[in-house]
Amino acid sequence: MMEILPQLIVSGLAAGSLYALMALGMILIFKTTDVVNFAHGDMAMISSFVALTLMRGYHQPYWLAVLAAIAMGFVLGALADLILRPARNAPILTLLIATLGISLMLSALGGHFFGYQTVSFPYALVGKPFVIAGVILTRHNALALGVAAALGLGLFALLKYTSVGTAMRAMAQNRLAAQLMGVNVRRVSTLSWGLGAALGAVAGVLIAPVVFLDLNTMITVLIKAFAAAVLGGFTSLLGAVVGGLLLGVLENLVGGYLSTQLQTTFVFLLIIVMLAIRPRGLLGAPVAGRRA
Amino acid sequence: MRARWPWVLLLVALLALGPQFLKSYQVYLLSLAAVYALAALGLNLLTGYAGQISLGHAGFLAIGGYSAALLQVKLAWPLWASLPAAGLLTALLGLVLVIPALRLSEIYLAIATLGFGVAVEQLLPQWAWTGGHQGFSIPRPELFGLALNSDLAFYYLILAVGLALVWIAANAVRAPLGRAFVAIRDNELAAQALGISLARTKSYAFLLSAFYTGIAGALYANLVGYLNVSTFNLGLSILLLSMIAVGGLASIPGSLLGAAFLGLLPQVLSGFSAWVPQFIYGAALLLVVIFMPYGIWGFLLQTVGRGRGLMRSARRLFPGPRAESGSTGGDDHA
Amino acid sequence: MLELQGVTMRFGGLKALDEVSFRVEPDRIVGLIGPNGAGKTTVFNLISRFYHPSSGSIRFNGIELTHLSAHEIIGKGIARTFQNLGLFPYLTVMDNLLLGQHCRVRTPVLLQALHLPGARHEDRQMRVRAGQLLEQVGLAQLAPAYVAGLPYGVQKIIEFCRALVARPRLLLLDEPAAGLTSAETEAMAGFIRGARDQFGVTVLLIEHDMSLVMKLCERVIVMDFGQVIAEGTPAQIQHDPQVIEAYLGRPAEEAPHA
Repeated sequence: MMEILPQLIVSGLAAGSLYALMALGMILIFKTTDVVNFAHGDMAMISSFVALTLMRGYHQPYWLAVLAAIAMGFVLGALADLILRPARNAPILTLLIATLGISLMLSALGGHFFGYQTVSFPYALVGKPFVIAGVILTRHNALALGVAAALGLGLFALLKYTSVGTAMRAMAQNRLAAQLMGVNVRRVSTLSWGLGAALGAVAGVLIAPVVFLDLNTMITVLIKAFAAAVLGGFTSLLGAVVGGLLLGVLENLVGGYLSTQLQTTFVFLLIIVMLAIRPRGLLGAPVAGRRA
Repeated sequence: MRARWPWVLLLVALLALGPQFLKSYQVYLLSLAAVYALAALGLNLLTGYAGQISLGHAGFLAIGGYSAALLQVKLAWPLWASLPAAGLLTALLGLVLVIPALRLSEIYLAIATLGFGVAVEQLLPQWAWTGGHQGFSIPRPELFGLALNSDLAFYYLILAVGLALVWIAANAVRAPLGRAFVAIRDNELAAQALGISLARTKSYAFLLSAFYTGIAGALYANLVGYLNVSTFNLGLSILLLSMIAVGGLASIPGSLLGAAFLGLLPQVLSGFSAWVPQFIYGAALLLVVIFMPYGIWGFLLQTVGRGRGLMRSARRLFPGPRAESGSTGGDDHA
Repeated sequence: MLELQGVTMRFGGLKALDEVSFRVEPDRIVGLIGPNGAGKTTVFNLISRFYHPSSGSIRFNGIELTHLSAHEIIGKGIARTFQNLGLFPYLTVMDNLLLGQHCRVRTPVLLQALHLPGARHEDRQMRVRAGQLLEQVGLAQLAPAYVAGLPYGVQKIIEFCRALVARPRLLLLDEPAAGLTSAETEAMAGFIRGARDQFGVTVLLIEHDMSLVMKLCERVIVMDFGQVIAEGTPAQIQHDPQVIEAYLGRPAEEAPHA
């Protein structure tokens, strides 16, 4: 039993890196605009279908299709921001429900344009897997890990070293103060939405080959990404990465050692236990000196 | 208070007599909407009033439905016993969620309750008597020797149970219990200083909410006559949440309106080709919450110009992890 | 009546309270003063059981409070107000005052839900009591108003009423006059004195308005850097060299002179 452990961990990390990418997008949107985006999965679904249509229907190369998916993600995110603008001050639960409305609309459009069947999606890289010390790492998984790491680091750099990033962080802290300091909050909020959804699109095209693509597969991924984001602390980008990777590994370990039928149940049980220990998530702010 | 009774009586009369003029299938749909309304009411007691968000209420519906079915079919319990028993059983299981609710709030509690829903959905098919993933048929029951075969007869059963439960909820939210719900939602520290126990109040909130949803589940089982665990998925939990957000948080009429609106809308739209109803449904959801942030009922109250503050209660709900907890603690130790 | 003995409170490495000991005698109005950050609100939060002390004991009429939960404190006869208002803004003034009497509710939840005569009777009684108190402070007409829209000064008075309507024996007031106009402060002082004279309530209050403290309080406890540095009548502490030193160099309005 123990010999499969490294393998389970490595594959778990690969899956987890994609949850992390999805979670990063959600958190970026939440931090700057206070919206928990439940349409994130459907945005990724539409973007992935756009890529697939370009490749299958119009015989475009993979890289171009992926670029188109990213652009599609950005546009969908920016559109959602425009649509939600009138409700900016509504309660968070209301905003969450509004994104559900967007999710249903996107899903309906997806069904209309791309059909209801489940389709396969090409891998970016095919070929012999890497074998390191007996652990198999498929090329696709290696790519997923690499892309997630690169985009994660890129996002950190963007937030830390660019003026747009500073504006985003300022908005996350205090929207009004940011506005007074001359931040164009509308533009920054649109940009955050676009970037967040674009990250989701990247996650989408990398997940689609593994889980296949239909109207609903991305929703399952979204729920896991959401859980990962919350596990990480929901306002922490690093938390999203940690939460995503942890969730991916946990999922694999539970599937490998405990039960595949009750996999999700056990994973959520573990998440709840971890949250009970850290009620604000692994990297969220701790609850101030209060007795439980 | 004063002006309310005539309206309530009018509504009850309409609900009692109206279905006489409807087709059987329409009565069935109305019954289904009423079952949703009960479940939404249960969720609103927990989320709207007590501020405890749940993304797992489909789990309670499932528990209510399956336990009622089990009691009736396997143990041959009569309806009058199995219905309340299903509610009580669900209520007791609802207490399980109090454990995370004492530690977690807002989005963290949302994940914990979501996990509960997933667990119910995955665990139920594990037992043979639930029919696994194939499902489970339940004949329409009889009540005191009276067959409830017809949709109309069963509608009247749901109406009677529903009215009683709405009346109880209306009492509860205006009683000390309901005030305690709002108190722990808006300020846990101040609530405790007033003698309100968080553990007790959250327990009551989950008990009451799960009881209502469990009864709704039991009625659902008998109404539809067939249970399949895939019905009780996250989508249903989210639908219930949408109902109370659309109707109005922390409002009993809001729960009922939201359930009627979202429960009946798909039927109204069923004439269109496949993707259109879903698109309109999503758009309706989006538009209602954007332009009526306090729900349809809040919007109605605002346009009539009363009770603005009441509906504003929703604003503080689920403020997200950024909000400071314990802000009343003062700054002395900083 | 209230007795703190060697109470120490650490937040991480920070010592917010260091061996704090003092007593509050019955039927007194006692002021708890000190510069910002002295630990005054921490004392209140310890008595309210929002925090658990690192060491020390807090006794009230012989009962050790540190063994109780936060929600059990009011039942022992201690009610409080908050520095930044602990009212429920989306409830009416009347509902807030009914919540103030929550610790006196005897009707079981099941009977509340069935709206039986017992529940109705208790509800009526609580409403009458709340109404009488509002009448006394001249705010009876505001009973059905939502708290959210009311002026700050009015909210302060309503929160004071909510604490008083529980009929406590000890009232903890955290800056009752902060943010009030001088006329409102005057009125508040009258209400506090009235609470003591009419209902026999002992009062422990944190306040920065020194003229109010000097006028209202019979005893004053001075804290600085988490320690009690002086205790006595207003006249005594005004001349206490340690107190003067603690306030030296601080903004003039905080100096303990009337």
